[in-house]
Amino acid sequence: MSVALDYQRVLLPHPGRTEPLSLDEHKAEDGYAAWQKALTRMTPDQVIEEVKASGLRGRGGAGFPTGTKWSFIPKTGGAKYVAVNADESEPGTFKDRELMEVEPHRVLEGVALCSYAIGAETAFIYIRGEYVCAADRLEAAIAEAEAAGLLGQACLGTSVNVRILVFRGAGAYICGEETALLESLEGRRPMPRSRPPFPAVEGLYRRPTVINNVETLANVPSIIDRGSGWYSSIGVPPRNTGPKIFCLSGRVNRPGNYELPLGAVTIRELIDDYGGGVIDGKAVKGVLTAGVSAPILSPDKLDTKLDYDSVQAAGSMLGSASLIVLDEDTCIVRAAALMEEFFRHESCGKCTPCREGTSWLHKVLSRIEQGHGAPADLELLLSLSGEISGKVLCALGDFATSPVVATVKQFRDEYEKHIAEQRCPFEPW
Amino acid sequence: MTLSDSTSAAIQKLVATYPEPRTALLPALKLAQADAGYLSREAIAEAADLVGVPHSAALELAEFYTMLHTEPRPPIRVVVCAQLPCALRGADDLIRELRAAVTSASVEIERTSECFGACHRAPMARRGEEYRENLVGDERARFISELRSV
Repeated sequence: MSVALDYQRVLLPHPGRTEPLSLDEHKAEDGYAAWQKALTRMTPDQVIEEVKASGLRGRGGAGFPTGTKWSFIPKTGGAKYVAVNADESEPGTFKDRELMEVEPHRVLEGVALCSYAIGAETAFIYIRGEYVCAADRLEAAIAEAEAAGLLGQACLGTSVNVRILVFRGAGAYICGEETALLESLEGRRPMPRSRPPFPAVEGLYRRPTVINNVETLANVPSIIDRGSGWYSSIGVPPRNTGPKIFCLSGRVNRPGNYELPLGAVTIRELIDDYGGGVIDGKAVKGVLTAGVSAPILSPDKLDTKLDYDSVQAAGSMLGSASLIVLDEDTCIVRAAALMEEFFRHESCGKCTPCREGTSWLHKVLSRIEQGHGAPADLELLLSLSGEISGKVLCALGDFATSPVVATVKQFRDEYEKHIAEQRCPFEPW
Repeated sequence: MTLSDSTSAAIQKLVATYPEPRTALLPALKLAQADAGYLSREAIAEAADLVGVPHSAALELAEFYTMLHTEPRPPIRVVVCAQLPCALRGADDLIRELRAAVTSASVEIERTSECFGACHRAPMARRGEEYRENLVGDERARFISELRSV
């Protein structure tokens, strides 16, 4: 077992627990101490500076520095908003679900701190419609916190008001894209906006808005309570600080959420030491590190440390840290076709290259997998990908090309075998 | 009126909840759908009127989101995730088995490429709003028997 045996979990300190912590249980673990501290001893700017100093980067996928994002909000008067991105829909990602289901007050405290820091009196938690249990638990926790005077009007007897509203989506991956999320909140079709203006200037209802992921905000109470110095000593400072929840799925013996310091373990260690190794002791064929939205890494990259910069240097992205493990029996063409089916289904249809391109990519991948591919199809896949990437309004188009380009380049022989033999050479799975 | 009095009242309450009324449109459509199990043109129009937006604005949401349905559906919907993490853990077998074992017209078995955030407990399905996870062995047998007894 590597490293992190003595690591004290910060975000999910009760592994295996499925019931939510009550307000009393949360308070017994110093819950809302950061909220009390901020409201009574810190200015909003000091909260922002503390978060900046911690080095916290957004946990939703992009890894943008959180304190810097908050500092973009103008100091002028008028309504400002926090929109929490709880539309967790990336295949292989289930960390925010556990945070909201088990640690709802930790999430709410983070939302409250962000609201205070930017001067927002209303925060929306935009949660995917399928997460009914998590949404119900958040609403129950909000009611508990409001009844205790922690949230709502005159929080903790101060002049600060923070109203947190849970807003349930209705099934659309695109709502995880921040401007599509805002459109959805405004009652419009969730299609991404062109930028500028950016949400920090014109966000929800055309007012300054911070959009943060659930896990990002769940980090904030500990930063404020224990200080940025403590926080930034976790992980690999200065660019990869703090704890991270790694979602491990696919062909491993013990899939699940594993909270570890950023950069503490390698991909191989996560799979073997935490995930119990690959099922039936098979060899790893490839690992996706950011759900299906970034290039697959081949087995020679298994000793890559799990932090933003190391994974990027290895040729992929850490993203939401959702690791999907493919073993030697996995047909890579079928895997790519499944991933592309997802993007075809989830493309909102606004940008022609994405709407048409994802459909064609899926069609070509499927025919190769089913034994009807032609040699020219490989160049067709790459050329189609080139017509999507960088030519659309949001990142979904770029994400959609990753499964294709990376697998064609790294597993070209497997594609060629499908085409040459006019069949899939693998057993069905 | 297509919508029940209680649904209409709940939508009116929602409209007053948000900084701008149109934010209530999506939740209003979900409430309207709960009345009849799907969104008829009349229900969409009434929800739009209660929120104060054009009928077309409501229709374009109803036709976009996968959890909204503009046609009647069987009373029991089972949606099985077949996206990569679930496929790697036997989702296709589960779908085959469910379709072979459950033949009642009141149960719909649907395959989806959407991910439901339960990859660590794959294979899985949603029965209505309920998550059914780790559908292997006895757990799968129980689920199938439950659906067969509908």
